[in-house]
Amino acid sequence: MNTVVVEESPVPSAAAKGTGGPRGVAALARFEARRLLTSAPVVFSFAVYILWTVWRTRSSWDGFPALQDADRATQGGPLLVGLGVLLAADFAALRDRRRGTQEWFGTLVLPAGRRTAAHLLALLPVVLLTAVCVAAQFTWEALKPGAVGHGSPAELLVGPLTVLLLGAAGVLLARLAASVWAAPLLGVLYLFFLVLGTGPSGDTGGTAWLYPVVSTSGNSPFPSDLLGRPAAWHALYLAGVALCLAFLAVLVAARGRGVSARAGLAVALAMALTGGVAQSRGDSAELLAARERASAAPEKEQRCVTRDGSTYCAFDEWVPRADDWAGVVGRVRSLAGDPARDRPLLVRQRIEARYGLDSDSAIPASTRRHQVTVGTAWGGNRVPEFSAAVAGVLVAGSEAAAAELCDGRMVTVMWLAVGWEDDPMGTLRRVRLDDSVEGAAVVLAPTDPLSMTAGQTDVVRRLLEKDRDGVAAKARAHWDELTSPGVTTARAAELLGVPGPEKADSCEE
Amino acid sequence: MRGVTRDLVRPVARTVPWRALGAAGGVGLLLAAAVRWADGPPPSTALLALRCAALTGGLGLASLLDDPARHTTAAVPVPRPVRQALRAALVAPPVALWWAAVLLLVPADLRPPAADVTLEAAAVSLLACAGAAVALRLTEGTRPGRAVAGALLAAALTGPLLLPDRWTLLVQPADPRWAASHDRWAGLAVATAVVWALSAREPLRRGRP
Repeated sequence: MNTVVVEESPVPSAAAKGTGGPRGVAALARFEARRLLTSAPVVFSFAVYILWTVWRTRSSWDGFPALQDADRATQGGPLLVGLGVLLAADFAALRDRRRGTQEWFGTLVLPAGRRTAAHLLALLPVVLLTAVCVAAQFTWEALKPGAVGHGSPAELLVGPLTVLLLGAAGVLLARLAASVWAAPLLGVLYLFFLVLGTGPSGDTGGTAWLYPVVSTSGNSPFPSDLLGRPAAWHALYLAGVALCLAFLAVLVAARGRGVSARAGLAVALAMALTGGVAQSRGDSAELLAARERASAAPEKEQRCVTRDGSTYCAFDEWVPRADDWAGVVGRVRSLAGDPARDRPLLVRQRIEARYGLDSDSAIPASTRRHQVTVGTAWGGNRVPEFSAAVAGVLVAGSEAAAAELCDGRMVTVMWLAVGWEDDPMGTLRRVRLDDSVEGAAVVLAPTDPLSMTAGQTDVVRRLLEKDRDGVAAKARAHWDELTSPGVTTARAAELLGVPGPEKADSCEE
Repeated sequence: MRGVTRDLVRPVARTVPWRALGAAGGVGLLLAAAVRWADGPPPSTALLALRCAALTGGLGLASLLDDPARHTTAAVPVPRPVRQALRAALVAPPVALWWAAVLLLVPADLRPPAADVTLEAAAVSLLACAGAAVALRLTEGTRPGRAVAGALLAAALTGPLLLPDRWTLLVQPADPRWAASHDRWAGLAVATAVVWALSAREPLRRGRP
């Protein structure tokens, strides 16, 4: 009762009709596919993968994904599924040997090579299921209201192809090493070398792309045409390697016989080599030039829209986000005095793309008057950071000037930056580098950070504890004095109606 | 009884799955050697390699109690705990030597505190053996090793994801939680040893053929 064929007996019926080949293979593949889908490693790895993915996707990118990053985020989970499939496929291909039925199979119409082919075909439903999961994850990201950008089908293919590759590796392993211990031990090696930390790092050119999943990502998304990831070549490479392993498994089982398997191996090898060579060429000169252009002179690449008198210039894929930016600018301005309230701002999206995808390079502050920088990420902490930059430009005139503020104007800047939020104290805490609301601290911004002294922090905290409209009225009434260079923190506090700092403070302390 | 036990050494040694243990040991040595030959890996990689080597040790030891003859030997006068202890005693010296070799293969300047990592490895090994003993006690199977190895691999993968922070086991030496986490490792080792001892008895069920 242990043998596959006795339980289902597809082969004798196929043999009776004189078609021992394709129909027998298909019947065995169907049976093995069902067993594979319900085997413990596959069920367990899918359960963990789906739970983990759902958990992560609920709040990924703070609800504002760039789809050219979201597509590669689908590649990590299938590495786990692949390990489960590797184990299950290996165990399934060894089942006949483990249960001592291998010799019986020698009397059947399906030769060993075709039985192995059936085990390989049985991988397809698992691969399809992975593809469905990947597609669902990506669709979820794409349907989020804050999504921008474009995904790449080649990046989405990497997950399912990884599962196919690992499954084929499991079947090949079973044909090479007839021990159930080979697969778990190979699994540990796979975890160590490919998954946990020791995988490809900074260098994205050359050999790094030989790994199945190359997840280069820095903090801020790039426009699609500046990514420079050879995603399509990599998908071809993965498909080639997976097919190589599959045909090798068939050839090993058939002891090297079989013209079609040999031809298939040659084609797969050609695919893997083509993809492998093409993917490792590194960044082209055109790409580097485009990154240089986008970093140094973004105004030539961007599209501008006008909202409430202010201009918002962004790379094409981010233009739909102008409304979100305009909302923040409008709320900051609603707290400001009349001169600042009507002043048109230029909000320009800037990136630093020259150092590649996985660098976290800072963007220098803009010295142009009334120009605010916005990055490519949004949501979460990026909102108060942008808000601080807007407030800094409204008060100091430019980002570079705001970064050097150290007098009482900083009180006004920070009150404008977080005063409009629903939870201003929590926002103040998050936007400060050390997550505190006491003492001196650095305030994050899209470009150069601002700095608050301990006294300014005390005054801002007191302002946030008071009624917003009352403070706003006082800020409007004394706007000119509050924003004039050299005003002290104590004077700003006095004008806004709260106690000043205990001792005189300055940035030098 | 003592004489019988001494006579048992040779047959039990023949049934110990040396090949699986040898394969696991080889992979463990390979992992440690990879750290030695790598180009300036960080200490965290060395720790990861040692933990992966400990895991391979656990995977190998999961097969320690595999015994195709278990139903035949249920009736022999030497009780099962003695036979399991004999197996453990037989593999303990080579396993200890192997672990020492793994530790020594990792360059000294990258090596995490040896005693603590050894405790982790011991806990993983005991966990594997205890899992196999529980499987033998609760099921009729003769070779629980493969399933136990799968479960151990699954636990190693999902444990770090699922364990809440205050019970975390996998920390770096520089982490202030290192000492507390090794208290937990010691607890795990003791608990698994107790479970193994309790499940080693021959399962005698009413109505069993």
